[in-house]
Amino acid sequence: MSFFKSLPFFLLLTIGFQVFSQENKSIQGQILDAANLQPLVGASVYWEGQSQQGTISDLDGIFNLSVPALPAKITVTYLGYEKSVRTIQVRDLEKVQRFYLKAEDFSLEEILIQDRKGDEQVKNMEMGKSTLSIEALQSLPALFGEVDLLRSLQLLPGVKSAGEGTAGLFVRGGSADQNLVQVDGAPVYNASHFFGIFSVFNPDGLKKVDLYKGNMPASFGGRASALIDVALREGERDRLRGEGGIGTISSRITLQGPLLGEKSSFLISGRRTYADLFLKLSSNPDLKNNQLNFYDLNGKAAFSLTDKDKLSVSSYQGSDLLGLDGQFALGWENWVSAVNWNRVNSDSSFFDLQGYHSRYNYQVKFDNLENGFDWTNSLSESGVKAIWTRILTSKRTVFWGMHGQVYHFAPTDLKPAPNNPIIRRQTQGVQGLLGNAFIGIKQEFSDKLTAELGLRQGIYAQVGKGKVFQYPDNAPNPDVDPSDSVFYRKGELMQRYQGLEPRIAFRYLLRPEFSLKLSYNRNFQYVQIASNSSAGLPIDRWVLAGEYIRPIRSDQISLGAFHNFDQNRWELSVEGYYKDLDQVIDLRNGARILLSDQVETELLSGRGWAYGLEFLLRKNKGKTTGWLGYTWSRAWRQIDGISKDRPYNPRFDRPHDLSLVLNHQFSPAWTSSFTFVYSTGQAVSFPVGSYLVDNQSMPLYSDFRNENRFPDYHRLDASVTWKNPDPGRKWKGSWNFGVYNLYGRKNPFSYDFRTIYNDQVNFSPSDGEIVSARPGVVMTYLFTFLPSITYNFEF
Amino acid sequence: MKTNWIFLVVAFLCVSCQEEVFLDLDQKENRIPVIEGHWTDQGIYNEVKISLSKNYYDSLDQELIRDAEVFVEEMSTGRKIAFNYLNATRSYRPNPSERAQIGESYRLNVSWKGQVFQSEGLMLAPPTVDSVTWNFEEERLFREAGYYLKVYGKIPFPTNNYYRIRVFENDTLKNQREDYLLFDDAFGLRVFEEGLELGYAFQKNDRVRLELYRLNKDAFDYLSQLVNLLFSDGGLFSPPPQNPESTIRVVKGDSQVLGYFIVSPVLIRSVTLPNQ
Repeated sequence: MSFFKSLPFFLLLTIGFQVFSQENKSIQGQILDAANLQPLVGASVYWEGQSQQGTISDLDGIFNLSVPALPAKITVTYLGYEKSVRTIQVRDLEKVQRFYLKAEDFSLEEILIQDRKGDEQVKNMEMGKSTLSIEALQSLPALFGEVDLLRSLQLLPGVKSAGEGTAGLFVRGGSADQNLVQVDGAPVYNASHFFGIFSVFNPDGLKKVDLYKGNMPASFGGRASALIDVALREGERDRLRGEGGIGTISSRITLQGPLLGEKSSFLISGRRTYADLFLKLSSNPDLKNNQLNFYDLNGKAAFSLTDKDKLSVSSYQGSDLLGLDGQFALGWENWVSAVNWNRVNSDSSFFDLQGYHSRYNYQVKFDNLENGFDWTNSLSESGVKAIWTRILTSKRTVFWGMHGQVYHFAPTDLKPAPNNPIIRRQTQGVQGLLGNAFIGIKQEFSDKLTAELGLRQGIYAQVGKGKVFQYPDNAPNPDVDPSDSVFYRKGELMQRYQGLEPRIAFRYLLRPEFSLKLSYNRNFQYVQIASNSSAGLPIDRWVLAGEYIRPIRSDQISLGAFHNFDQNRWELSVEGYYKDLDQVIDLRNGARILLSDQVETELLSGRGWAYGLEFLLRKNKGKTTGWLGYTWSRAWRQIDGISKDRPYNPRFDRPHDLSLVLNHQFSPAWTSSFTFVYSTGQAVSFPVGSYLVDNQSMPLYSDFRNENRFPDYHRLDASVTWKNPDPGRKWKGSWNFGVYNLYGRKNPFSYDFRTIYNDQVNFSPSDGEIVSARPGVVMTYLFTFLPSITYNFEF
Repeated sequence: MKTNWIFLVVAFLCVSCQEEVFLDLDQKENRIPVIEGHWTDQGIYNEVKISLSKNYYDSLDQELIRDAEVFVEEMSTGRKIAFNYLNATRSYRPNPSERAQIGESYRLNVSWKGQVFQSEGLMLAPPTVDSVTWNFEEERLFREAGYYLKVYGKIPFPTNNYYRIRVFENDTLKNQREDYLLFDDAFGLRVFEEGLELGYAFQKNDRVRLELYRLNKDAFDYLSQLVNLLFSDGGLFSPPPQNPESTIRVVKGDSQVLGYFIVSPVLIRSVTLPNQ
């Protein structure tokens, strides 16, 4: 029945939009950086005297613009580059016009903290979207000197961290698995190294990152809270170049250049830690024989097949390995690949086709004949996405498309060693299909009012082969055996869900530099992590929606005011939001899910909601750049079976959150950066007493979850960069000196409520005679005054 | 060698520190009764301890409840077995000749100051323990050098396989959080037939006593949750801390109650390790 309800929507897409099309003469062009021939995205193009009716270049630097009476002068502008003006004749329409923009020759090299037009935040339709340029990212002080994409995003309003030193993101009250992290359109299921201390992105291989925390275009979906859209860099097409860095804990190298002439390019980038080497130097045999490393490899090849067709192939692979004594190992790996084909059909018609495959797997291995085992799991997602875009008039653009996804979560398999008498445990694999169709239209009603309306329809199916357990009263319960089970053959429909996701956004321009925006966004999420810890682990269990696990639904409404000052040097924005979540899950006390086929018996589900106000003042240009962000927000969950069924705050609910980022260029050789962060402490549960049971002194907890707080968190980081100011050198080197947590604030990582023996926090009863024992609290804190040094180079 | 992975990472980073702090903790207004009931087929093990919770920083001994009315009811007959408070053991004890019978269900009743608490349990048949062996092992991964014991036996039951082994070394219960030995049939029980190695390194001349319990599921879950809580460090990787779900319920009164009631057979084996 639900399928037929959605039929008209698909028919609408199938019929297409020919009725809207019209014949317009237009000019097509491409805008490139004169220095490296990289396409410039978002450059403004307009006819002289008609700056209100221009267009902007797309991801490949390409633009199409309707043509007035010729000859006429066309103007191209881009922040940080010299303006280009060219007279266009009728004969020029026959070929693609290329514009090579030169970077403005500032007396001091400036740091641009976002790659976009100066007035874009006021005039575009986007709310809750933040873009960080990689240059801005690389200028920030970093933990161990490791520039980290996800941790840098935590400096933006509305984005919370799980805690000290972790790269997990909690966006506008959503949990970490409600964020879709994708690389060139392909999802990454575990975006962290070293249990979340570092993210998997080597900054040298990145082009830019867009964070959507509010209104998401209808072409994106699948997660309830946020989209972190990471684009890998394309190689430069003029000559072979390289860059890299030697850091405190890792080194990295990137090579790029033409591949088959100037029509194609490649970029390959790698990073590896050298923790293993440090461990080998240790005198402690427990550490000496251990392995501890991670690496990242990413590459991209881009081909301009014709003037209208561009093909890129990109891939990322990253892995962690923690090994003990050559016998015990824990490793995990992401391998993500994507193919993107971009076609310019005409000056007003574009087509993008994308195919991708993402695989994540982990392994826990104990190499011992009698007690050993090999525990593995993998999951994958494959997808194809097609988007058609048509510029109908200068005031109306439509896009539509489809996105098909295939999920395959392989069985978790624990194989004992030959002489290990435990039985092999293998969960059943699960498969899911998700088909999405979407359509969006951007309509400019007047110079002041613009709207973007979108619809996304998802149809999800869990398919066999598989087994679904039946429970008395249809209520899964760990204490009640299943009453029956139903087997499904390969490909057979097991469960189906569908959801219509409207996306609505309005922008009203009060003045050229001041706008108001309103948006509403609905998302469904069909895959999530069954966990109740705040930080992700590599062995976390991903679960697909099924008979007992319903998809998460999120609704978000947001309202914002955006103002630019001083010729777009300053940006100010204030955004408020309210988000409603349904079918969020948590785990029962003592749940065991990693090797269970009855995960549903261990889950509890309920609702959540979040609201907040985000303030951002940003200076984009000049010797001093940076931003001040402040967020006041709250996040809530209400799940039957937790906190006596009453609302509670998840751990990442941190009402006050402030970040200050400053970059300053002292001279062509010297730059410095500071970041200061402050936030309310995490919401946690502290004991309200203690009791003795089974000869253990146990902390007594309230029935209500997370009613206490860690102390407020604050930290100041600083870095100084020196680079050789001589631009003529072929080898350009720079040194970065940084300090994380400059004033040594002891921000707690955890509080452990335990018995303290002999007044020593680390004394164990097995260490010797016990003279005294008393209840106490032991705080663990990380990263106080942590200096780092990195040498970066390019050639 | 018992390396916590997460802290191995942190150890590598050489940047974590620990120190004792004082937190201003909320305190529970009403103290909560804590009941620990053992009803077994060994008279000496049968007792009920009742105490009260206390403020977290209070380092005094637990306050015991000595004036409760305690009995265990045999469900099939309705016979009530009284437990009386003994100062010597600081617990309630029945007549030593009373003990649980296999296949019988029992209900613990505790009445105190107008409040009544109850819990039920089924006395299950014990498995068979054939032998306990020992062998000296050099240092291995996750194991120190020392004498290791193996328990051989048979567990012929298709269901209700929830076990605990308590280990006493020279009459001292091994009672650290890593000393808990709880297992069920999730990974099969062949390991018990082929020799279940206990993960403790003993020394020569050690006297070792083993107690094997076959638990009801609720008691097993309680102890599992208790161990999880003992390992919770309050950090990001730990689930939000919760009290273990008591197997005891409040049938009269508005107090909470903590603790468990274990009905179990107990198999005891003792060995003395060689002096060389």
